Amino acid sequence: MRKILLSLGFAISFFGILAFSKSYFTPIYFEVPKGFPKPLYDFKNNPLTKEGFQLGRKLFYDPIMSKDSTISCSSCHLQQTGFTHVDHDLSHGIDGKIGTRNSLTLQNLAWSKSFMWDGGVNHLDVQAIAPITSEVEMNESLENVVTKLNNNKKYQELFYKTFGTKKITGQLTLKVISQFVVSLTTSNSKYDKVIRKEEKFTEMEQKGYNLFKQNCASCHKEPLFSSNDFKNNGLQIDITLNDFGRMKITQNPKDSLLFKVPTLRNIEFTFPYMHDGRFKNLNEVIKHYNSGIQKSKTLSKELLMPLNLSDNQRIELVSFLKTLTDNEFLFNPKYSFPKK
Amino acid sequence: MNKTIFYFIFSFLFFFKATAQKEKDSLFFDIQFNWKSEALKLNKNYVSNNDTLQVSLVKLYISGIEINYEDGSHYKEKSSYHLINVENFKSFPIAKKENKEITKINFNIGIDSTASVSGALSGDLDLQNGMYWAWQSGYINMKIEGKSNSCKTRKNAFQFHIGGYLEPNYAMRTIVILMDKYPISNNEITITMDLSKLFDEIQLSQTNSIMIPGKEALKIADLSTKVFTIE
Repeated sequence: MRKILLSLGFAISFFGILAFSKSYFTPIYFEVPKGFPKPLYDFKNNPLTKEGFQLGRKLFYDPIMSKDSTISCSSCHLQQTGFTHVDHDLSHGIDGKIGTRNSLTLQNLAWSKSFMWDGGVNHLDVQAIAPITSEVEMNESLENVVTKLNNNKKYQELFYKTFGTKKITGQLTLKVISQFVVSLTTSNSKYDKVIRKEEKFTEMEQKGYNLFKQNCASCHKEPLFSSNDFKNNGLQIDITLNDFGRMKITQNPKDSLLFKVPTLRNIEFTFPYMHDGRFKNLNEVIKHYNSGIQKSKTLSKELLMPLNLSDNQRIELVSFLKTLTDNEFLFNPKYSFPKK
Repeated sequence: MNKTIFYFIFSFLFFFKATAQKEKDSLFFDIQFNWKSEALKLNKNYVSNNDTLQVSLVKLYISGIEINYEDGSHYKEKSSYHLINVENFKSFPIAKKENKEITKINFNIGIDSTASVSGALSGDLDLQNGMYWAWQSGYINMKIEGKSNSCKTRKNAFQFHIGGYLEPNYAMRTIVILMDKYPISNNEITITMDLSKLFDEIQLSQTNSIMIPGKEALKIADLSTKVFTIE
C-alpha cells in the first residue's frame, strides 16, 4: 500500500513539474536575416513558441474576432499581397462599412517602433484592439472576444497547450496574435539575394537601384525600406477625409499631414498606395514625386526639389522596385490559412 | 499509512489557516464614494453648483500606493495597479499590518507611462477591462459617465474618459494624504471620494465629452485630485 502511495506521489509531482516547466512548449528561435538590424520587439516578454505561433495564426484567420463572425484579420491583410487589402483605396470591414485609410502591410513588424499610419499605437501587442473595436472594422470588444474563446472547447485546448492554463485572458489573446504577426519576416526578394551575392540585377534594375539610393533611400532606408519616421510627402489634402495624420495623435501643428514612411517591400503587389490609397499603380506614385508635390509648411525637406526623372529613369526605378518582391514570403504555406 | 493521511490533512489545514491569517494581518484600502456627505448612488439625481445630473459609471485606476510610517520607514506596494469600479467595489489588502503609526499615504490616479508602453499586461491592467484606447495607445485613467439636461448631446449624455501618458498631456495625478490626525481602525484606511467636488467646478453645458488626451483631460485630472480626502 505504502509503495503504491509513494509511486502515486512521484507520478503526481512528475506531471506537476511537466505542466509548469517551459520546456513543455516548443520554443521558436526568431531568426534575424543577415544584414538586418536588431529587432525592436521584445521577445523576452513574449517568447515565441510553435504552439503560440500556430494559435495566433488560427486566430488571425478566424472571424470569431468580429461581432457577427464575418471579418477576420485576414479580411484586410491577405498574404499574397504582402498582408494588405488590395483593390480598395480605403479598406472596408463589417457590414461593408468603409474606413478612412488604406490598410497597411504586415511585414517585418519586429523592426517597427510604432504602428498605424499615424503611429498612434505604441506596441505590437496592443495593435490588435484597434481593428477589433473599430466600428467599421470588427466592431467587437476584446472582452467579448475573450468570452467567445473561453466558451470554445478547441481554443481552450489550444491555449492550454500554449500557456498551460485554460483561462484565456485578453493578455494571452493579444500575445499569441503578436506571435504570428511578428514572425512575418520577408527577406528573400531578388534584392536580398543580390545583396547576399546569390543573384545579379539586370542592367535596368541596377540603374533603378542607383536612382533609388540617390532619391528615395533617405526615408525608405535599406534593408527594411522604411524608417520609423513620419513625413509629409506632399500629397494634396483630400477634403472628403480631412486626415491630418500624426497631428491627431500628438496635437502638435508640426505634425500636420505627417504619415508613417511605409516599407516598400513587396510593393509590386500592395497597391493601391498612400494612406488613402489614392494611387493605383507605381507609375502614379513616381509621377507624384516627380512633379506632383504640394508645398506646405510641414513638407519633408527631402522633397523640396522635384525628382525630375526622365521617362526612362522612371521605368528603371519601377524595375528596381519590383526586385523587392519576395515570392517565398507571399506564398509561404507557413503563413497561410491553417487548413487543419 | 495513517501517518500519510495525517500529514495530508495537516498541510491542507495549514494552507487554509495561512490564507485566513494573511487576511487578518493585512491593512486594507477602502474607498467611500460620496456625493457631498451621503453615499453616492448611481443613476440618482444630484444637484451641483451648475447642473442637475446623474452619474451612471465611475471606473478608475489607483496605482503606486506608498505608505510612510512614524519611524521614517517606507512601504511601496509591489505591482500596485487597482482597477476600481463603483458598481462592485470591495476594499483590498495593500500591506502587512504594522504596529506603528502611519503618517502619510500617497497613491496615483491613473497609470504611469512605463506600464502604458509595455504592451499587453494582465490582471487589472488587461486590455479586456476596456480601460485602454485602441486608436491611440494608453490607459484610460478614469471614466466618469452619466447624463444631465445641461448636455446638448445625444441622450443628454456626458462622458469623461481621462488619460494620456505622453508629455505635455500626462494625466496621471498623485494624491498625498497626511494621516497624523486619523488613527486607523479595523485595519482599514478609508479614503473618501466626493464627486460633488468635481462637478461643482465644471459646467456640463460646456464640458461634456472628453475622449482624448489634451488640455480638457488635464483639467479634469487636476480637479480629480481634490475629490479624495480622509475624514
